[in-house]
Amino acid sequence: MGGEAMFEVIKAGLETAVQDYPGRIGYWNQGFPPSGPMDSWSFRLANVLVGNEPGEAALECQFVGPELRFHRDTVVAVTGGDMQPRLDGEPIELWTSVAVKKGQTLTLSYARTGARGYIAIAGGIRTEPWLGSRSTFHKAGVGGFEGGALKEGQQVPLGDAQGTPGLRVKDAARPTIVTDKRWLVEVTAGPNDDWLDEAGRKLFLETDWKLSPKSDRTGYRLDGPGDRITFADKAINKRPEHGSIPSNIIDQGYPNGAVNLAGETPIILVKDGPSMGGFINPYTVPTVGFWKLGQARPGEVLRLTEISVDEAQKQAVEMTRICSGESLESA
Amino acid sequence: MASEHTVEAQLPGVFYRRPSPEADEYVKEGDKVSAGDTLGLIELMKSYHEVKADASGKVKKFLIENEGEVQPGEGIAVLLSE
Repeated sequence: MGGEAMFEVIKAGLETAVQDYPGRIGYWNQGFPPSGPMDSWSFRLANVLVGNEPGEAALECQFVGPELRFHRDTVVAVTGGDMQPRLDGEPIELWTSVAVKKGQTLTLSYARTGARGYIAIAGGIRTEPWLGSRSTFHKAGVGGFEGGALKEGQQVPLGDAQGTPGLRVKDAARPTIVTDKRWLVEVTAGPNDDWLDEAGRKLFLETDWKLSPKSDRTGYRLDGPGDRITFADKAINKRPEHGSIPSNIIDQGYPNGAVNLAGETPIILVKDGPSMGGFINPYTVPTVGFWKLGQARPGEVLRLTEISVDEAQKQAVEMTRICSGESLESA
Repeated sequence: MASEHTVEAQLPGVFYRRPSPEADEYVKEGDKVSAGDTLGLIELMKSYHEVKADASGKVKKFLIENEGEVQPGEGIAVLLSE
C-alpha cells in the first residue's frame, strides 16, 4: 500500500531537491548532466549513517533547509553544512543517525556553516527514476519529485528499511567546512591549460578568486582579474573556426568540474552544467576538490591548487573508502 | 519603552534595498514597518530572495549598504519598537 511510507513537505526551503550519487550517468553525449549532490562526501556519509547504500536518493538542502513531517517511524541523518536541525523543536546532532517517530517534524534552518546540508532517510527516497537516476535536474524539469525541487504540501515516497539510530561519523572522517571564508580547491591541469602562457597559468593559480552570487548548480562564477589572464600563441594565432577571442576554441566536450574561461570570466561547470561549448577549460576540479564547491558561499575565496591526475584519483578512491561503514562509531 | 531588534540575514549574497535599479527603496530609515514587510533582496544562486522584517517597528538604520555583501547571521537593519 505504501500510503504511510512517506514524508510531507511543510516548508520546502531553498530549492531542496532529491539527488542520488553518482547521478544520471551515461547521457552526457545527449546533453544531460550527471546532476547529483554538490558535496558527495557529506551526501554519501548521510546515507551510510542510516544504513543505505552511499548513493541512495536523499535530499540536498541549499542555504535554507526544509521542514518535513514523517508519516512513519524511521531513522534519519543530517550532514554537511550546519543548518541547525531540530526534531519537534529539539536540536539534534549533525553526522549522527537519529530515530524519528511517526508524526514528528524535522526542521532545518539556514546554513550557519557551509552552504548545503544533506538529509538521508533509512530506505531512501522512492521517487520515480528518470533515465536511471532520481537526481533532480532543475533546468530541464526532470528527475527529483514531479520534475523539480520540493514544494510545500508534497507527499514524498520512502523506501522501507529500519536503520540504526545512535551512530555517528568519526571526527576524522568528516569533511572540514572552513569558517575563515577561504577554500583551497584542488584542480588538475587541462584539458586546455596549453592555451595559456606561463604567466596566465600562474595568475590562475595565485589569485584569490571570489565566488559570485551569480552561481548555482550550473556554474560557479569567479570574480577576479580574469581580464589579465594571458594566453599562449596558439590561442591568439589560430584558425578562424576557433573563434575570435583568445578563450574561444572550436566547440568541444566539457568535463564536469571544468574551470571554463568564458571570455574574461572563469566559470566552474558543476553538477547541472553544460556538456559542450566553445570556450577553453584550462583546469578541471576533480572529485577531491569538488565537494568544497558544494559548501562554499558567495563572497568566499576560492584558491585553486594544482595536483596531478594520479593524486586526484588516489584521493577519490580514499574518499570512497571514507564514505563507508568503517567511518562510523557509536554515538 | 522602546527596544531594538536586529533583522538578520539568513542567506549569503549581495543585499539590495530596491526591487530594481530604477525603483524606489523598499523602505527608508525612519519608516515604520510591520512584521512580514520586505526590507530588501539578497541575490543568491542567480535569483533574488526577499528579506522580510520579523518584527514591527521603526527602521532605525540599515547595517548593510545597498549592494553590500552579506553572510548568514549578519544584521541587515535595526528596528525600534515601542
